[in-house]
Amino acid sequence: MSLDLKIDDLEVRAASGRVLLSVPRLSVAAGMCLGVKGPSGAGKSTFLFSLAGLGANSSGAIAWGGTDLMVLSPEARAKFRRHHIGMVFQDFLLFEELSAAANAALPGAYSRRARQAVIARKAGDVLDRLGIAHGGRTVESFSGGERQRVAIARALAADPEIVLADEPTASLDRKTADRLIEDLVRMVREEGKTLIAVSHDPAVYTRMDRVIEIVDGAIVSDEVRDG
Amino acid sequence: MNPLAPLYRAIEWMPVLAQDITVLVVLVMPALIVGALVLVGFRPFPLVRAMLWRFRWTNALFVLLIAVSVGLGVGLIAQERGLRQGTARAADPFDLVISAPGSEITMMFAAVYLQPSDVPLLSGEIYDEVANAPDVTLAAPIAFGDSYVSSPVVGSTAQFVTHLSPDLAEGAMFADRLEAVIGSRVDLALGDSFTPAHGVGDAAEHDAHAHVEYVVSGRMQPTGSPWDRAIIVPVEAVWEIHGLANGHAPENADQLGPPFDPDYFPGTPAILVSAEQLYVNYALRAQFTTDRTMAFFPGTVLANLYSLMGDVRQVMSIMAVVTQILVTAGVLAGLVILTRLFARRLALLRALGAPGRFVFSVVWSYAATLIFSGAVLGVAIGYGAAALISRVVSAQTDILVTATLSWPEFHLVGAFVSLTVILALVPAFIALSRPVVTDLRS
Repeated sequence: MSLDLKIDDLEVRAASGRVLLSVPRLSVAAGMCLGVKGPSGAGKSTFLFSLAGLGANSSGAIAWGGTDLMVLSPEARAKFRRHHIGMVFQDFLLFEELSAAANAALPGAYSRRARQAVIARKAGDVLDRLGIAHGGRTVESFSGGERQRVAIARALAADPEIVLADEPTASLDRKTADRLIEDLVRMVREEGKTLIAVSHDPAVYTRMDRVIEIVDGAIVSDEVRDG
Repeated sequence: MNPLAPLYRAIEWMPVLAQDITVLVVLVMPALIVGALVLVGFRPFPLVRAMLWRFRWTNALFVLLIAVSVGLGVGLIAQERGLRQGTARAADPFDLVISAPGSEITMMFAAVYLQPSDVPLLSGEIYDEVANAPDVTLAAPIAFGDSYVSSPVVGSTAQFVTHLSPDLAEGAMFADRLEAVIGSRVDLALGDSFTPAHGVGDAAEHDAHAHVEYVVSGRMQPTGSPWDRAIIVPVEAVWEIHGLANGHAPENADQLGPPFDPDYFPGTPAILVSAEQLYVNYALRAQFTTDRTMAFFPGTVLANLYSLMGDVRQVMSIMAVVTQILVTAGVLAGLVILTRLFARRLALLRALGAPGRFVFSVVWSYAATLIFSGAVLGVAIGYGAAALISRVVSAQTDILVTATLSWPEFHLVGAFVSLTVILALVPAFIALSRPVVTDLRS
């Protein structure tokens, strides 16, 4: 299933009515790695959450492969995320008391029984590929880099077409961050997924196919990178 | 009125045990149905375990609060029933008591529970009339007023001792004026001697009978009543040491026990009467309810007392219900606050696309686990508290109070669990209404 992204006249407002984000038009081809940069408070994360159908006070259209999230009910949006979107957060957001394997296979907890085994298998496979060999241990004892790898495994476990990453390297040291973004980009490319990563980290968007810059809630540059 | 009374009436054709089980099932059924509806299709337990462990001390405190509130309810019900059963058991050997007219309750406390009271005496003619009434198998004078340390010294007959304790635990029945049979909890040994005081408690005159020394000849079996602390001596001895006739004509001066000679009978505060047939007791009560005598069944007086106290119990029950409602409201507020501790994790689940019903089931299961754990612990606390209070009450009153858990307590706990588990839907709904992005960024 090819899930190109098409945004038309997207506007996100604060409760006060102030415009937080305005994107008149944007298209992202399926399988592309898109970096989103910009200063703090520019609206990058608001943009990312809107792409997941989590934005409030929004208008316009956000269509993934013809499915406009804006016209879906909250439960239908959740179902879309469940099947098509994996998310990675800045501070991992793991269940510290669960094992790495259980965290990675979390989407299986709320999936149909038939899919649970598939998700658990995929989660284990991704953990292996990311070098997490001790999946049975609780993540309490893990380093930041290991935790973010578990979070990536969780994002990929349900085999979504889209991965949305919010500052995935912000909580990591330079060396760990470089390795992690390398692994993330490699894996989404290998599996033909779309990656949209919001980051302040040049090491992230130098690995992207395309980088947009958001300032004061508006896209001010859109650069397609070579190679 | 018992709110479960209509249900019991509807199933009164069942055996008693089946009725109690059915009521419990009916009470917990709403919780089971809600649980089944919330959990169908999901297995939230690994996440619930993680949430429980994450804030384990907070959760433990919450469970303890629920347990204490449940335990108070359980303990009070068990204790009240235990006290009722204990007082009834203590009064059981006293089929019919005849005394001078006055307050039945005062006389019952004096004759059955050995609480000191100044009461008029019955004459020898009355005693003779009672003792010789048809079908009377026992007419025992009960002459109280003396004491030794904390034990009342009561004058009566060997037949009365046998009525209270058919077999002695040790020793033998008194066979001499100055022998005594002691209750099971009296701190004397066989062969010990003691001098009684005139009166009881602080007002006792310890030197009034300094010339008298009783010797312990036997010990009764435990009766679970204040008589376990009593010392029973021949009534003749009580009369004699007070300078009165001893109940027998001079030619029978050494006789112990009935028959007594009305002309030499100094009087007794009360007579315990027993007959083979129940109807005889009723006939005797009618016969001796006169302007000179009062006849009453201690069991009936107790029942009337319970009935009177029933109003108080009803007020207490209403207060208990109000307390439970307040506790339930507290539990609810606590659950809403506890759920906020997990707001970020719940937001994560929703951001990842978990169905609302799954997130709902996580929150509800978490709350239900706390409530159920608190209720189970509460039953244990209630049982322990009731047992402890029973020991204190038994030690204070000498009435054996045995508080054990029974169906009313389980019904209370079942109703509490059912109500709170249903109300736990509220924090689950509140958790679902929280803004995902705000909680993710919190």
